[in-house]
Amino acid sequence: MKPTVTWNEAAARHLLSRACFGGTPEQARQLAALPLDKAVDQLLDKAANAPGPDRPEWVREVWVNKLRRYADMPREEYLVTFRRASTRNDEELLDLKARWVRHMVKTPAPLRENLTLFWHGHFTSASSKMFAVTQAFYQQNETWRKHALGNFRTFLEAVTLDPGMLIYLDMEESNKDNPNENYARELLELFALGVGNYTEKDIREIARALTGWTLDAPPGTVKPDRPTSPETARSLRRDGLVPTFVPSRHDAGIKTVFGKTGRFGVKEVLDLVVAHPACGPHIASRLIDYFGAHDPQGTLKVRMAKAFVESRYEIRPLLRELFTSPEFYAPECRGNRIKSPVRLLVGACRDFDLQGEITPSLAQSTVPLGQELFNPPTVKGWPSGEEWITSTTLALRYRYGEVLLDGKPLTGTEPLGRIRGTLIPREPTEARKTISRLLAIDAEKAGSTSKDGIRIRFEADRLVPAELANDPAALVEQLLRRVLVVKPRDASRSAMVEACKAVPPAERAKLVARLILACPEYQVE
Amino acid sequence: MMNRRLFHKTVGLSALTATVPTFLQKTGSALAAGARSSDRVLVVIQLGGGNDGLNTVVPYADARYYRARPKIAIADRSVLRLDDTLGLHPEMLELHRLYQDGGLAIIMNVGYPNPNRSHFRSTDIWETASAADRILKTGWLGRYFDAACAGVPTDPLGLRIGDQPSLAFAGDRLRAATFANPKMLENPAEGPAGRAMQRLSAVEETGIAALDFVQRTGNQSAALSRELQRAAKQVRPKVDYPPFALCQSLRLVAQMIVAGLPPRVYYVTHGGFDTHAAQPQRHAYLLQEFSEAVALFHADLKAHGQLDRVLGITFSEFGRRVAENKNAGTDHGAASVLFAFGGKVKAGVHGKAPNLSDLDPLGDLVHQVDFRQVYAGVLKGWLGADPDRVLAGRFEPFPLIETGGKGS
Repeated sequence: MKPTVTWNEAAARHLLSRACFGGTPEQARQLAALPLDKAVDQLLDKAANAPGPDRPEWVREVWVNKLRRYADMPREEYLVTFRRASTRNDEELLDLKARWVRHMVKTPAPLRENLTLFWHGHFTSASSKMFAVTQAFYQQNETWRKHALGNFRTFLEAVTLDPGMLIYLDMEESNKDNPNENYARELLELFALGVGNYTEKDIREIARALTGWTLDAPPGTVKPDRPTSPETARSLRRDGLVPTFVPSRHDAGIKTVFGKTGRFGVKEVLDLVVAHPACGPHIASRLIDYFGAHDPQGTLKVRMAKAFVESRYEIRPLLRELFTSPEFYAPECRGNRIKSPVRLLVGACRDFDLQGEITPSLAQSTVPLGQELFNPPTVKGWPSGEEWITSTTLALRYRYGEVLLDGKPLTGTEPLGRIRGTLIPREPTEARKTISRLLAIDAEKAGSTSKDGIRIRFEADRLVPAELANDPAALVEQLLRRVLVVKPRDASRSAMVEACKAVPPAERAKLVARLILACPEYQVE
Repeated sequence: MMNRRLFHKTVGLSALTATVPTFLQKTGSALAAGARSSDRVLVVIQLGGGNDGLNTVVPYADARYYRARPKIAIADRSVLRLDDTLGLHPEMLELHRLYQDGGLAIIMNVGYPNPNRSHFRSTDIWETASAADRILKTGWLGRYFDAACAGVPTDPLGLRIGDQPSLAFAGDRLRAATFANPKMLENPAEGPAGRAMQRLSAVEETGIAALDFVQRTGNQSAALSRELQRAAKQVRPKVDYPPFALCQSLRLVAQMIVAGLPPRVYYVTHGGFDTHAAQPQRHAYLLQEFSEAVALFHADLKAHGQLDRVLGITFSEFGRRVAENKNAGTDHGAASVLFAFGGKVKAGVHGKAPNLSDLDPLGDLVHQVDFRQVYAGVLKGWLGADPDRVLAGRFEPFPLIETGGKGS
């Protein structure tokens, strides 16, 4: 017989922690008052109908490449253009990150943002490889959010033709003479099927089928009648960010994919991919990996994949199956998952009801912990689970109070050296000059990214009544109950109570918050 | 019951090994103080992104090379000659000197059967030492620790300087640490908060795997930080390293080796070799950094009298296609070159220039040496471990180490 879920306040707390960046005991109580199905439907409904963040003022109706390097442009003029455009793009990207974190913290439907974050780690694009196209990241983030619990087939088409994706995995430059396999490979390996479910030939044939798509200015745009050098990098000569099909670049021949043959293009290929028997299980296991479940026999994965196929590739039934499953609420699963750095940051802002402004510097504070928004380390996305915790990232997590409570960036996290990035002259005096110039550029950049500062504040009276500070044991108990999903260790409780006794009552709540951030129990969800 | 206070004294945990509860021993969190300067050390340098072996060790006497690469070939008059057929990229001046001094080994045509051309998969193959069609979840160095270092109480046995842990170190037990900067491990908190944080770091088994994992890692983190601070205080580099990433990483590795820190394997990454476009400029500065960094590291260790304890090897997930592409770059390929250095390395060019008439169907170099033979040579000849217990399958150990009395 199938085990059932014991649905109570603790289970609701678990669901909120995993799905919604955490929740207070009060929120858990309200959720637990509903039957499990209703509670999950309520969360999913809220997520489905939630508004996204506001549109930044720097997003343009028509994106114009400010970085064009014309063949007749003197080097000096180009360098000025380049520096201006690159500074502006850096600022936009930081603004975009801050806006997203702000929305994750403030939204009444955090599940929608958590899913958007999941898909961002699944359908990756990385700013370190995509120069000066912040607008593409904005659009991609909107698209991922739009489809986060929609139809996977529709989503996959939006992904395939997403401007950022066309750039990141090189489809923009793929054409029938030189089909680029990068996107086709990741589509099968990471995005939809998983290793072992296709052949190298399938990849090559899909790459051919996807040729023809590129990025261009909107139809009818008058393009500058001034040539760029053919040697110029794509980012310096792109005309626009509108996905455009150019028939003359498309390989219209016969292709064979998964043993089926036809004159396939994007739509046919994606139909074949989602209909592949490995697709449902692949998406299910990625969701199980992200939200966590105890599924040693793979039974949950099978049920989720079934829900996926029966609904014609809807994502919501998969999530419903997951969040109502005994595997998700299994005792082995409770508190047995490491929070991602973004989950830690957003959760802490919510748990401690932090006030003030969420600035770019705060959004960037997760970088030394191993997670930077819009910049996953590889096309596989971010690590998960125990991979988040190393001697180093853990030591930094324990110091996170410096950021969240004192408003200071973490010190000592800079890399040991800069990337050389250019040839250094062999002559020692010239070498020294070049090196000092490079270091000066770095120093200038470092100064410009931290100038906004961290402007978030801890206000004790939002969490506990002032008089509770006179009773350290009760104060510690209440704060621990508010923010932990696991039972605190004796050592934690007593260390916090002892520490409180050594400081005046007015400082106690903040000290306890600092110690909670520095304890192992706060690292898990 | 263990007296928890003992853990917070400043003495190294090694003194407690005999009484450390099994829960802690699971991670081997004990970390010995004091130098054990007799242990041999392996330094792995990853050239991330797929290094173009053909433009690194150039077959300058082969007209087929120049035909395949009209835009990006290295001119025969500018290579740094190794012999009548091969020469180093002109930016590898320091390594050319090291070669001439008998301190550099170059192994030609290293790869594996059925090469995979995905960065991620092929890096996994190199790091796990798996066959191309087999997925392994543990790394070759992690399995070496499991097989040969189970009785070594000190941790970490592996140390990576970088942002992400390496799959190469994954084993039954994780015995490696990772950081970009050693300062990341220090906790500046003082007063009541500092004292309480010390107490919070006590380990108390909860039965929740993730939570217990966090606790054990915290313990390891604090011990490692103390050792790093000792190394920085005690060891002064004997050469000047410029402020670039690989140079600075190797500077720190040298300090740790000289100070006798526990790691037996150091792992550093020099990335950016994915040269699909505008390869000449980029490859030149990447190789300049590689050459300068390795030569300085070599000189530093030698000046400290530590070179005979150290073997360095490089790897890259694949080489690149023989024919250049339309963007003055090269696409993902297969076999490539591997470098090794150290006081006991068998110096010189091992193998011959690649055969450019015998390419695989995609136009890539065919390997002559399986990289697992090199690993077997390192395991047997340098680390004194049985390769059969670490590698899946039998591989003839590549003779990489001088067995005679050569030293520096």
